[in-house]
Amino acid sequence: MKKPLLEALLVALTAALFAFAANALSPHGLKLGRNYFPGDTIEAHPLPGPANHLTATVTNASGASDAVVARLREKGLQVVDSAQAESLFQDPRFQQDSIIFIDARNDEHFQEGHIPRAYQFDHYHPETYLAAILPACQRAEQIVVYCNGGDCEDSEHAAISLRDSGAAAKEKLFVYPGGIKDWEASGRPVETGSRGSGQIHKGKP
Amino acid sequence: MTASPPRVRLALDIATVLARWFLGIVFIYMGMQKAVDPVTFLKLVRQYEFVKNPLLLNTIASTLPWFEIFCGLMLVAGVAVRGAAINLIAMLVPFSLLVLRRALAIAATQGTPFCAIKFDCGCGGGEVVICHKLIENSGLLILACWLLTGRGRQLSARFSLLKPASDAPTPVSTPSATAEYRG
Repeated sequence: MKKPLLEALLVALTAALFAFAANALSPHGLKLGRNYFPGDTIEAHPLPGPANHLTATVTNASGASDAVVARLREKGLQVVDSAQAESLFQDPRFQQDSIIFIDARNDEHFQEGHIPRAYQFDHYHPETYLAAILPACQRAEQIVVYCNGGDCEDSEHAAISLRDSGAAAKEKLFVYPGGIKDWEASGRPVETGSRGSGQIHKGKP
Repeated sequence: MTASPPRVRLALDIATVLARWFLGIVFIYMGMQKAVDPVTFLKLVRQYEFVKNPLLLNTIASTLPWFEIFCGLMLVAGVAVRGAAINLIAMLVPFSLLVLRRALAIAATQGTPFCAIKFDCGCGGGEVVICHKLIENSGLLILACWLLTGRGRQLSARFSLLKPASDAPTPVSTPSATAEYRG
């Protein structure tokens, strides 16, 4: 049994070398030293399942559970509810980019449908998006960050990342915890493809 | 103890080779699912709440999929088979226990029957019924343990790294070769 164990150790070492090299070379690879979950409070992670789905726990006007709203506030983030998100979208300042929406989801989800004229900021790959959103963040008076809604935490981490990096001042940052699910469920317009593609359709309530 | 008839030995060897390939392909597939989207895997690993340090969390999420792929390739090629199998066992046991622990926590929180618990365990197949996943993992564990017996050296490039070349693949199962396996 000694030989197989020694062999296992050799395999483990070679596999580890292979794994580190593959991650470093992969275009999807993770940066080992980066904190992808800034402001993390691990105890606050929601358990998956029906009880955490948006449809099951909409308990307030924000389109998210009270626990999510409380967690966001605890982290010093301002929250906008469903009606406030709509009102910001209708505000004339939205057309002038004084109010902007930031979609914190990945490219695939963004292309499938986002709030019209929303910028994309997938905080797992900031180097790809930061250059494009930084001037918009500096100009804007109000920035609304959202993701899927429900138990999605990407908007929270993206907002903290923008705040902590100095890209956006704390006072103008808001999280819309209801996210795209709440937006679509309210029958509001959704843009598919890239930002400003003009392919706009109505969300399915 | 009487020796097994050659036909039985041959059948066992063929079954072991097939088990090795199956296990290898399963791990390559599951590893690839995670390796192409490490961010999703990172989020899933984080949910288990067993690692808080970002560096450690990132290291696990970024290397584990490639580790699985590597071990899977070793099994398919038949290189260091027992060493690769031990590594798979070392991955399967703790992760199955973590999945079980999380499923029990969800069952306790939501009052849902255990076998109705469904979530993406980060195992590489998306959302699954956890009962099924644990049975599947037990099956994979049995196959990995079976490979430790040293059977099924046919069609392997170098079954054992630490043995002389004379121990390498044998084209057919012979009584003398079988005796050597058990040595």
